[in-house]
Order: sequence, then C-alpha cells, then structure tokens
Amino acid sequence: MMSIGKSIYRKEALEKVTGTAKYAGDFSKAEVLHGRLVVSSYAHAKIKSIDTTAAWTVQGIRAIVLGQSFPLTGEEIKDRPPLAFDKVRYYGEPVAVVVADNETIAKRAAELIQITYEALPVVNSPREAITSGAPLVHENLIFYEKIQHVYPEPNTNIADRTKIRKGDMVKGWSESEVSVEASFSFSPSDHTAMETRCVTAEINRDGKLVFSSATQSPYMIKKLMNDYFGLEPGKVVVRTPVVGGGYGGKVAVQLELIAYMATQAVGGRTVKIMNTREEDMISSPVHIGLDATIKLGCTKDGRLKAAEILYLFDSGAYSDKGATIGRAAAVTCTGPYFIENITCDSLCVYTNHPYATAFRGFSHSEVLFAFERTMDMLAKKIDIDPMQLREINAILPGQTTPTQMLLNNSTVGSLPDCIQRLKQLMNWNEGQRIQVSDHLVRAKGISCIWKTSTIDTEASSGVNLLFNIDGTVNIISGIVEIGTGTKTILAQLLAEKMKMDIHQIHVKMDVDTETTPEHWKTVASRGTLLAGRALLKAADDAMSQLKDIASRVLICSPDDLEVGYGKVFVKDEPTTYLYIKDICYGYKYPNGYSIGGQVIGTGNYMLRHLTHLDHETGVGKPGPEWTVGAQGVEVEFNTQDYTYKIIKAYSVIDIGKVLNQKAALGQVMGAMSMGLSFAGRETYVFDDEGRVLNPRLRTYVPMRYGEHPQYMIHFNETTHVDGPYGARGIGEHGLIGMPAALANSLSVAAEVDLNQLPLTPELIWKTKESGGTK
Amino acid sequence: MISYDFEYHKPTSISEATHLYQSLQSQGKKPMYYCGGTEILTLGRVNRIVTGAIIDIKGILDCNVLKLEENLLIMGVANTLTKLNETNYFPLLSKTIIEIADHTARNKITLGGNICANIFYREAVLPLLLTDSQVVIASPNGVKVSFIHEVFHQTLNLNDGEFLVQVKTDNSYFKMPYVSVKRRRQWDIGYPLITVAAIKNDNEIRVAFSGLCSFPFRSQQIEQSLNNRQISRQSRIDQVINDIPAPILDDVHGSAEYRLFVLKYTLNNVLDALEGERHA
Repeated sequence: MMSIGKSIYRKEALEKVTGTAKYAGDFSKAEVLHGRLVVSSYAHAKIKSIDTTAAWTVQGIRAIVLGQSFPLTGEEIKDRPPLAFDKVRYYGEPVAVVVADNETIAKRAAELIQITYEALPVVNSPREAITSGAPLVHENLIFYEKIQHVYPEPNTNIADRTKIRKGDMVKGWSESEVSVEASFSFSPSDHTAMETRCVTAEINRDGKLVFSSATQSPYMIKKLMNDYFGLEPGKVVVRTPVVGGGYGGKVAVQLELIAYMATQAVGGRTVKIMNTREEDMISSPVHIGLDATIKLGCTKDGRLKAAEILYLFDSGAYSDKGATIGRAAAVTCTGPYFIENITCDSLCVYTNHPYATAFRGFSHSEVLFAFERTMDMLAKKIDIDPMQLREINAILPGQTTPTQMLLNNSTVGSLPDCIQRLKQLMNWNEGQRIQVSDHLVRAKGISCIWKTSTIDTEASSGVNLLFNIDGTVNIISGIVEIGTGTKTILAQLLAEKMKMDIHQIHVKMDVDTETTPEHWKTVASRGTLLAGRALLKAADDAMSQLKDIASRVLICSPDDLEVGYGKVFVKDEPTTYLYIKDICYGYKYPNGYSIGGQVIGTGNYMLRHLTHLDHETGVGKPGPEWTVGAQGVEVEFNTQDYTYKIIKAYSVIDIGKVLNQKAALGQVMGAMSMGLSFAGRETYVFDDEGRVLNPRLRTYVPMRYGEHPQYMIHFNETTHVDGPYGARGIGEHGLIGMPAALANSLSVAAEVDLNQLPLTPELIWKTKESGGTK
Repeated sequence: MISYDFEYHKPTSISEATHLYQSLQSQGKKPMYYCGGTEILTLGRVNRIVTGAIIDIKGILDCNVLKLEENLLIMGVANTLTKLNETNYFPLLSKTIIEIADHTARNKITLGGNICANIFYREAVLPLLLTDSQVVIASPNGVKVSFIHEVFHQTLNLNDGEFLVQVKTDNSYFKMPYVSVKRRRQWDIGYPLITVAAIKNDNEIRVAFSGLCSFPFRSQQIEQSLNNRQISRQSRIDQVINDIPAPILDDVHGSAEYRLFVLKYTLNNVLDALEGERHA
C-alpha cells in the first residue's frame, strides 16, 4: 500500500496549527455592511408591534428588515419565515435584522428596536405537544407546502410520522416470556462548534447573488435559493472556506436567507452576519431533544422477540431537519439486533423550543440511549449478562433490519467480532461493579451501535482532477473541510490509485459552487464513500487519457500500459515508459507536432438502489451499508454523594478499512468526547415559559480539558465492497453509543435505572430519592 | 462586542483615581473602577454593565503590593488569582481561588475584581471572612482600614467613589487546619453548586459559604450551631441548615433541595477533615 492506512498529516494542518487558516468570518473589506439580529424574548407570542423609530435615529443605519408572510421555508415542510412574521415560536427566534455601516452601530440600533408581544400558551415538551388540547405551534399546518414523503397531521403538533411495521406483533408478544417497558427523555442541547455561524451575501451588478458561508451544504443553499425565492441556480454562488466545526449544526440553511433579504434591502451591497455565541446556541438551530417509550420482549434465554417503540422528537418550532431525523430514527429504531417483530412510530413534534437540525449521529445517539438502556433493563430482568444478551441478538448477514433490508457480508460489518474484542479490552469478566473502597465503586456499561445514512436517494458527488505541468495533481471536490480531514483522505485514495507520492497531490480546500463539482452535503459520514468513489472514477478517467497519449508515443495499445510512480509504462517492460509530466499537458513530437492537452479527470458517484420508505410499513432501503460497533464506559462512582469520574471509554468499530490510522482515531475519539459531554452535562434548561435559561457558555459547559477519560479505540475491518478500498463511514459512530454506555455504567454503579439525560449527580440523587424510575 | 462608548483612564495613584472618579461622576459618565476587566467586558457586551468611563486601578502601586510585613500579609487587589495561587502565601486562599473559573480566566481575574464582582459567588472572600482580614479602602477623603466584617455584608459595601486597595491578613491563621470544598453540578470546571471554606481556630470551627444563597457569607449563628458539641453531629448539621440566612438558590446549576443534600454531606466532609471522623 502506497498511502492507505498511513497517518498522513492533513493537507490543511499547517494553516490551522499556525492560526493562518481563514474561516468565513475572517474575510472582510471596508465596504462590508454588518447585519445584527433582533431576537425574540418570548417562546410563543403574537407580535403586536415593532417600533423601529429609535433605531433609525442611530447614525449609519442602512436598513431594518422585518419578517414577511412570504416566502415560508423548510426543507420538507415550508413552515418557517426566515424572520418571524405575525408570531414568534421560540425564545431567541430572529425577528428582525438591522444593517449598518459597522458591527457596533448595528448592535446599538438593534438594541433600540421595541417589540410588543402578547404571550401565548407554551408547548414545553413533545409529550405535552401531542396531548389533546395542547396549544398549536402551527395553526396552518394543513396549508403548508411540503415534499411528497412527509406526513404532517393537521390541527396537531405532529409534523411527521414514520411507521415501522415488521413481522407480527401478536406472535412476537406471545413468544415473549419476559418484557420490560421504560420511558426516556432529554431536552434539546447544542453543537457548540468553535466557529459560530457566519455568512456574507452580496448581489453583483449582473444580478449574481454571492454568498460566503460557514456551511456544510453550500450546494443546498444554491438549490434552496431557487426553491424559496425563484433565483436562477446559475446566478447563485456559494463560497465556503474551511469550517470550524459543523457537527450537523451547519447543515441547516438559515442565516443565508436572512443575509439575502438584508443585501436586497441595501441594493445588493455586501452584508455580513456573524452569530454571537448566544445566537449560535439558540437562534440558529440546535441538537434535537427526545421523549421515548420502549417495550421489549424476549424469551427466558434472551432471544428478542418483539419491540414496540414510540419516539417523540422535539423538533422545536420548525420541522426543517426534524422530520428527516425522525425518519432516520425509525430506520434504526432498535439497536443493532435482529428482531422479527417490530412496531415503531417515530414522530417529529413541534414545540416552542429552538428548532432542531442535524447533530453528529443524526438521531442515533438519541435512539440508542433509549434502546440500549432498555436492553440493560431486560438483561437485568432475565438475569443474563448484558454483553451476552447483545451477543445472542447481534445482527448478522442474512438477517433483516427494521425496514426489512436484507443484509449481506458487505452491507453490514461484524458485530459479534466487535463485541468479543470489547469484552477483552474492558476485561469484562472481572465483573461489572467492583467495590473499590467504602464509598467508591468502579462500574462498566456498554452499548452496541449501528448506523447507515438516510440521505436523499439522488445525492451525488463529483470530483475533478487537474494536472499541473510537473505531473502533480489538484483535487477539486465539493466536500467542505469541516475538520474531518476528508479532503486529505481523497488525496490518499488518489495516491494509492495512481501509485504516486501524496506530496505530489494538492487539494483545493475552499468550495466555490460555481467552479467546484457538487458534493450533495458534507454530512452523514458519507464524504469518503461518495467523493471517494467519484475520485476513483476521475482517476480512472485521467489514467485512460494518459494511457491514450502514451500509447501513441510508445506505439502500443493503451491496454498494455500502466500508470504509476510518476510514469506511464509498459506493463511487461517497465523500462519502456514516459513521465506523466511529459504527457499530462499533451505530447510534443520533435518536429513540433503536438497531441492531447491538459489532462482533466472527471468522475461522479451516486448511491445505488436506495428507496423511500413505505409510509404504512417503513419497508425500504434507505442507506448503502451499516457500520457497526460496540462501545463501553468505565466510571468511578461515589455512592455517598453520587459524583463520578469517567475513567475509560472504549470503542470497537468495524470501519471496513482504515484509510488513515490517526485520522480515524481522531474522528472516533473526538466523537466519543462529544457523546460523553452531551450525556454527562449538556442540556438547555427551560423555564415554564419555554425560555432557555442557559444560552451561554458560562452556564452551558461542554466537557473541558482535564475532564476526559482515557480513550481506548480498536478497529475491525470487514470490507464494504462498494466503499473505496472497502472503507465504511466513521465520522459519527464514535459518538452514538456513548450516552447509553455512560447511562448503563452509572445505572449499575448507582443501582437505579437512569433514563434521562444529562447524567448529573443531581439526576442520580433525584432518581435514588424517588425510588428509581419506572 | 460592547456597543456603547466609554472612556478609559489609567491613574497611577490613589488620589488621582478617586479624583478622576469624582470628576467623571460629575460629568454624568457613571464611572466604574476596573481591575481585571473580565466581568465588565463580558457583562458589558450584554448590557448588564453600562458605564461611560472606566478607571483602571492596575497602574496604582498600592494595588499591586504582595508581601508579608511582620505578621501581616498585604495583598493588593490588582494581583491576579494565578499570581496569588502561585506565590501561595495563604494556602486556604490559594485552594479556594484555584477552583474559580479556568486558568486562562484566572490569569486576568484579580483579587479585588472577584471580591467586588457582580456575579455573586465572590469565592475569594470566603478565606478573608474566616480570617477576620482587614480591608484598605480608598475614598476621596483618604484611605481607611476596616475589618472585613464591618464592610462586607453579602457584598463589599463601598460608598460612591470608593475602591478596595488592599486586603491584610494575619499570618497566624495560615498555620491553622483548613478545608475548602467546591461542589459543582458536574465535574471540575464551572460555577459552584456550593463552595464551603472552613478553618479550625483552637477548637472552634469557622465556616463560610458561597453558592448556597445569592451571596457569600459567614454566620455567627451557623458557627455556634456547628460547634455545639453537646449534641450529635447530625443534629449540629440540621441546626446549621435551620440557620441558613436566606433562601437556598434554585437555578440551572441545581435545585434548592439538591443543594441541601450537597450541603449536608459537604458539612460532614468538613467535620471529618477538621474534627476527625471518629469525633462524631
């Protein structure tokens, strides 16, 4: 192997570690105007009046843009005005944007806008939202435009319902000798990317709308500007430099719409809007919350027979990605187990909370928390080792998923192998709960994981390879470098494919939708598969062009030639060759005749045979393959005061093929820490009026340096035939079992069922005091 | 970003500072004394602190003193928490302030800034209350020295135009057994759920609290109850709880009931440390 598996430094590493990398907010010019949001101080209220008189007295104000009835926006249901109109539906919702000569003036004027509200009753949780008589967040749900495959229920707060109906529940329950039922809940939280969201927008003299945006989906912006505002796709350009962390939070298209309205209001001049931390936390979309109820049945020896599941996702005020998240949750509604009989209703529910968007793992850490907790409760009830219960039921090739997709040796990794390895790593046989001293116990908990993607069935990716005169190659891909190092992986794939030195490969980090081939969105752990396959196809294209020219010069068939080591050579006689640098811009004969031209390799890739889900049964093939794994957490717990430290966290994941060892470790370790931070302390705290009490990093504290456990990570490699060199997705998977594993370890430690997040000592105390959850 | 304009002054003497204050005040600028600035800047950007002029007292020599003079430790208010911790003249103070915020912030937060903070934990004051420290306060009429108990009630009660210059602590306290325990909602960084600091002077335990109520305090009543060895340890703790001078905080860090639970075992930990576990 030339490059695969090696821990190549990221191509943008030097720029980043020296602080010279330029992010969206770093670009500025003197004539840029600044937009400042005015946000709602109510979670649900009628807007009675907006008085801008005082704001207009500030010198340097250029425009004040207020909400309008049209257009309504949203990726599945058009339910959201970019700026609130008529009423506000969440605390922190943008109501107006003030455009001024500089940031200070914009802020000063924004502070002077007087909004009069009339408070409305608040929907403060998904369970509350679906009770009859609950206030409606959207009275006009029935009139909203929507895509075909979303199913809002008019005159309720239900934006979408995905149903899974697999097998025969009557049979499932009759075969179940034991069952457990439990409910789970947690509130919305944040992504807390270091870089807050930022966008600039301008309209050129020729009518071209140009954005520079910190986004994971530049091409979606282009598409949605056409959909929402009727703009010609060719007249919308989105530029995206490196992005300082996305985690799903920068998938949503929000500030761009406001920036467009703002630049329009000032005759197309450049307007920059950069979120403050507070705005980034609650005005822009958040990490989804969940209420869940799971009932599981099994035989006495631990074979799962039936699962009855209700997921109520707290999509907040708007459905934007919430509906898609609810659907992804249904696809993976159980843990990675074969269960013949499943019924699941996964609902996307409106509340008066900040609205949700994707979060790393896209419903999986959320769903697995509930499901894997239930697995532990079931294991306890039938008195079987929780590791063993998972081994017995682990999903295998030849079995079907909840959407009845039949798995094979390629489409799913080996979960039994992951479980075995985890068992060894955790020294599982020493016991799950060990008394260390009078008040100290060490306890272990586990969670199995799986994930496929549920992206659009027509999502595609394209790559261009441009040769330089020295035979080096530039990779042009629409992947946004959000910190995952995927563009470096592309360079490694090319180095491997063309048997060339990685340093001869240059990667264009920025994306410009006008010149960069489209990559659908940089999401769902799908960069390597989609762009990787497109790149390999582009490499094939380039190599056949090189061989074509070389065949004329060497007077042989292109079939006899091979590309590698900077040369095109005769397979059978490697000493007969041409340097790539001498033919990649064509070939010049001694007499001056020339043939060919710059070699430009192009390739694209679209996932094969994906389908929508059947609305009544959920049957369908939503994703290409499943990454599986087994994770664990070991805590040291104080039985007197309920405080704890996370000592070790484990991941064994079947990633198909390790493409870059350190990069893979980094992805998994980073994801694990996010999962533990979410599970251990991150949540928004809402008061009775639906206001967020901690929308700032003073009081919303992610895991800090020094609080981390030791991370133990191991990779298994079961080839995914479609994946580049057999690789599977890995960007999110380290996160998704962490909440469940932490909850399971603490439930063992505290000897009480902990079914809420975050897992603070207060939650443990409260659960103990109330005699445990039911 | 702070959207209002304000002047910045950096006097080099106490009298210059107090006179500046008076003159800025008379111009209607609502001046504020400024030391580390972490709070003025972060609360300023959300308009919870609004001022037309700040007077940075870090340029005043008296505010930067840090020395042991005979048996008195003199600490200028401009000393940062990091410096106080690293020089470690006063171990209980070091232990208490090392738990405030994070290292980067402690490089900026000053002793004076923490004692006079708007954010009400003001944990640096706990060791000073326990050691009957003296405070040196500058006013337009000159400098006065008082015992901290005379001027610190929930917050340092300064008259308009006054500022805290130094704190003086008798070093005989530095040898006494002490504990300082900070309990948080979760893990090692962040505001306190409760901070309890205590020392043992002969046989008497002194104790001070932050995060329990909406202000830090030391209470005679509580100390009497805690030192009443005629009754069981449990009863002493129950008595202490009865003596809490104001409603227990109930906020995003924890509910009042949970704080009570934490307080009980923390007091037990304090008594274990200062009386020995068997004493009960």
